[in-house]
Amino acid sequence: MHFESFDEEYLTQLRGGDFRTEQHFISYFSALMQIKLRSRLSSKEASEDVRQETFARFFVALRAGKIQQPDRLGSYVNSMCNNVLMEHYRNGRHETPFDDDEGTDIPAPDVDLLDALASKESDEKVREVLEQLSERDRRVLREVFLEERDKDEVCRDFGVDREYLRVLLHRAKKAFKAMYLNNFGDDPPAFAEA
Amino acid sequence: MDHDVVVRQKMTERYLLDELDAEARNEFEEHFFVCPACASDIRAASLFVERSKVVLGEQAKAASVPAPIALPTPAIPKWMNWFRPTVVAPVMAVVLAAFAYQSFVTVPQMKTALGSPHVLRWTSVNVGTFSEGNVIKVQAGSGFMLFVRIPPEGNYLHYSADLYNPAGKLEWSLTIPASESQDQWPVQVPAATRPAGTYTLLLHGISSAGESKKVGQASFELQFEK
Repeated sequence: MHFESFDEEYLTQLRGGDFRTEQHFISYFSALMQIKLRSRLSSKEASEDVRQETFARFFVALRAGKIQQPDRLGSYVNSMCNNVLMEHYRNGRHETPFDDDEGTDIPAPDVDLLDALASKESDEKVREVLEQLSERDRRVLREVFLEERDKDEVCRDFGVDREYLRVLLHRAKKAFKAMYLNNFGDDPPAFAEA
Repeated sequence: MDHDVVVRQKMTERYLLDELDAEARNEFEEHFFVCPACASDIRAASLFVERSKVVLGEQAKAASVPAPIALPTPAIPKWMNWFRPTVVAPVMAVVLAAFAYQSFVTVPQMKTALGSPHVLRWTSVNVGTFSEGNVIKVQAGSGFMLFVRIPPEGNYLHYSADLYNPAGKLEWSLTIPASESQDQWPVQVPAATRPAGTYTLLLHGISSAGESKKVGQASFELQFEK
């Protein structure tokens, strides 16, 4: 079975509780939720709470037969995540977890993908990519992402514009992505060249 | 959100640079949750940004350590002519006499002095409150103790303390460790020929990124006993 797209077979396996499919599903969307939640929540604990609650609600809805369209799986997860997030904001730390009569046990991902990938090998590849950049471009990235300076100020100081910044990040991402897909991807999905 | 628009407008980069308004951000997130290509793109880009912070931080820290200064190798100078025997012999005699005096008189006296316990004059300075007016009286040429109180804030890796004499000249620099459990550090100021007057201790905090930031300063009055 290929995990390149979420199709009927995938949905059937997921609904049937196939362990590998569940692990893939949770791992795949956990990574996306971490990216989404990082900018919205101040603590890892809060992000983890929202992630867990989102999956809990998803699997309850799945087993209740409410999720029928495999190509909409991502949309379901994102919408549920948004709802849980809104409740989190409204209720603060007093949010009551979804009452799951079925006792759904949300399996944690085998690995936290982003943490697992932050290995020495990843750092080495990041170093290689950074070394290919000019010293000026390295300084720009350092001031934007490490020192978190105001981006307009950084652009002014270096005599560049915002588009330069985007292109710089795009080039670096592209170089790094080749390593990422070679080492960590499942069968890399066909995708349009970004 | 159309995939071509996402690619054409570099939405992944705009998202990570925090350039999207709330509506565009929500739309882009909705898109990458359903588009495997963009999911792969945002995951790779996000990982690159996160690890770049670590790698660039390490590089910045390494760069803050000054490289050793390579001294130039001098050419053979003309003053080598001074090493003729007629010049060297009397000079050597004087040097040997001085060496003998130090070995048999001065050094034993110093060892006796250093090996014996003795009380140091001291004063305390509070860098956080820019303290002034503390007076310390010592014998001219003697060392003394400085208790440096540093405000516990800033999460610095360590501190750099610079002592300036009354003429504003830097007398010495010292690295003081940063510790959550200790905010007062005893600094032994060595014996030296120094003028009386107001001395200023300037303190900089050094961050893990190698940045130096002034934390504070304090002054004290050095007076000599008559």
